[in-house]
Amino acid sequence: MHGHCGLFFTSYRAEEAVFPSPVQRVWLYAFLAVYLCLPFFLNAYLVSILDLIHIAIIAAVSLNLLTGCCGQISLGHGAFLGVGAFAAGALSAAGWPFPLDMLAGGAAAALVGLFFGLPSLRLKGIYLAIATLAAQIILEYVFLHAGALTGGSNGLLVEPASLFGYAFDTDQKFFYPSLAVAAASLLAVTNIMRSRAGRAFVAIRDYYLSAEIVGVNLFAYKLKAFAVSSFMAGMAGALWAHYLMYITPEQFNIGLSISYLAMIIIGGLGSVLGSVFGAVFITVLPEVLSAVAGAAGQLFPDVSSSLLAMKQGVFGLVLVLFLIFEPEGLVHRWRLVKAYWKLYPFAH
Amino acid sequence: MTAMKRLFLLAACLLAFSAQGFAAQEIRIGVLSDLSGATSDVGKPYAEGIMDCVKWLNEVAYVPGHSITALQVDYAYNAQQAITAYKKFVSSDHIVALQGWGTQDTEALTGFVAKDRIPTLSASYSAHLTDPKKSPYNFFIAADYSTQLRGALKFFKDSWKESRPPKLALVYPNHPYGLAPIPAGKDYAKEIGYDLVGEENVDLKALDATPQLLALKGKAPDFVWVGGTTASTAVILKDAKKLGLGATFITNIWGSDESLPKLAGEAAEGAYSLQTSVVYGADVPGMEIIKKITNGEPQMIHYIRGFASMLTMAEGLKLAAAAGKLDGPGIKAALETLRDFDPLGLTPPVSFFPDDHRPNMTAFLFKIEGGKLIKAGESTLPRKPEWLGK
Repeated sequence: MHGHCGLFFTSYRAEEAVFPSPVQRVWLYAFLAVYLCLPFFLNAYLVSILDLIHIAIIAAVSLNLLTGCCGQISLGHGAFLGVGAFAAGALSAAGWPFPLDMLAGGAAAALVGLFFGLPSLRLKGIYLAIATLAAQIILEYVFLHAGALTGGSNGLLVEPASLFGYAFDTDQKFFYPSLAVAAASLLAVTNIMRSRAGRAFVAIRDYYLSAEIVGVNLFAYKLKAFAVSSFMAGMAGALWAHYLMYITPEQFNIGLSISYLAMIIIGGLGSVLGSVFGAVFITVLPEVLSAVAGAAGQLFPDVSSSLLAMKQGVFGLVLVLFLIFEPEGLVHRWRLVKAYWKLYPFAH
Repeated sequence: MTAMKRLFLLAACLLAFSAQGFAAQEIRIGVLSDLSGATSDVGKPYAEGIMDCVKWLNEVAYVPGHSITALQVDYAYNAQQAITAYKKFVSSDHIVALQGWGTQDTEALTGFVAKDRIPTLSASYSAHLTDPKKSPYNFFIAADYSTQLRGALKFFKDSWKESRPPKLALVYPNHPYGLAPIPAGKDYAKEIGYDLVGEENVDLKALDATPQLLALKGKAPDFVWVGGTTASTAVILKDAKKLGLGATFITNIWGSDESLPKLAGEAAEGAYSLQTSVVYGADVPGMEIIKKITNGEPQMIHYIRGFASMLTMAEGLKLAAAAGKLDGPGIKAALETLRDFDPLGLTPPVSFFPDDHRPNMTAFLFKIEGGKLIKAGESTLPRKPEWLGK
């Protein structure tokens, strides 16, 4: 598909391989080797951005599975994250160890996601979006009023994640568990997309009726998409809870859901790599703008407050420009760049 | 010692002194502001108060031998941006203290500031942040939301003349900030003899509050507590006037300011506003400074609280510098020695204790008359240990 000239496949298995060529595998391992060393060289600020990117990647790739691949728009993803966060927080307070409470948080979110996925059977497109918006509102209400479990308006204190007595309580230490879960999520979604389930999701997205005619059980597969997606969102929420050590209902508001949607749209709908690009872009852009605004503020101290305030406007503007000039997402741009270098200097 | 040696010693001492005078040590603090997000209408004046105060502190060399550098970041009321801004403050800028802003950033950072030991003053006045057992590095300079509500209840109960118990209704948004003082308010109302006749939810973004107020009208409350922001309060007051709900309205600290009469017009007249600082132009020593900085341009009450918050932090910095401990724990310890520190009359005196971060127990009551906030009285409660953090 996007392989080298002369790279051809003689079986479906080969075409569906995660790494179509050994070169890609080597590059990825080399990248990972460098990436794993980064926390030793970067300061806590830069590592904290990477930590937040890991969490955003898990949330974005899970939403991309549901929305980008299966075509089920969800405006409640932030709230599903919240379910995982509060469940993991409450279980952690009850003495559950770290990876278990995260998995349980994921399971709780999966159950809730299943429930709120039920309307998807009858509703499509914008109607489903509104139904999931309702899920967001209902869950926010529950977070705020289930005082015993969620701490209500006071929020919930959560201990830092720890494994066998080793606490991941700094940005540098938290880098590794969050990266592990992010990598596992990316691998899981990549593999789901190569399986029967993934093909069924795409079939449902492209045209539900044809999918049903070729034998895809719409009900089962839509609910599977909701459950798997929410499970990963719940794990992202659990990581967020352990990272922040203090969670309140306000953190899982509609704004969070929308920012995840923005990530997958900017990154590339239906693409695993696109989710990564989107998560990186949406997390890093405000930092870049902050740095620019800060530098400009030092040059013009009298208007520094106004310059800082312009950041939000510029953020919105960049998103709009992106959608106009790269509607297929960052992943498309990435492919173009790759293709250019592959054929260099004989571009035609 | 010869005369020559003495002279040398004197010269050396003088040199050392002047060198210290010239090379003022820098104290770096972080300022998290909302200049462009959901709460920027009140976040902006608050942030201006902080930044102007820093300018003044440096002009008068408030912390001897030190200058304060305030690094400001606009986090747009977004928890994630607050976290990264904070991480940058701590790891790249090496701040020793933080001026925060609202519920969103303050609560998201509670765990981090406790771990990194960064004393934080903010404008999120939730009572649970006053308990050092749960949030050891959080401070603020206004009576918490619960204390403010209790103070208002006491104020109106004390002036209640009729023989029947006064009837109270609570109107608040279904939001962490709106819900925070409600349990405390209900308990205290019952304790001092109010008759709680109704509770209604009005959203912060509501455009209409008629259904909720109609439900209250039948219950004829004497007092209606309004928790919300100025926008939602304006809607409530206008609809109450339309329906002829003849109750006394009490709004909380973020529910009314100088913009309320502009938003609600006539309907705002006679409503009470709970505040914890003076308004612009009040006859207190600090106002002279503010007037000079702002060239007599009136500022919102949030500006004054921002100014006072920075002033209180500076007092902590000064004490910590004098003790030679200008780091997080040193500043925290210094703040916890404050006893009735007077922020130049801008707010009631502030005290912090190692086991109690309630700054004071005083709420000011302003009445809106002729479109202006006119001080109607103040209410001071005893510092009861059982109210800490609730």
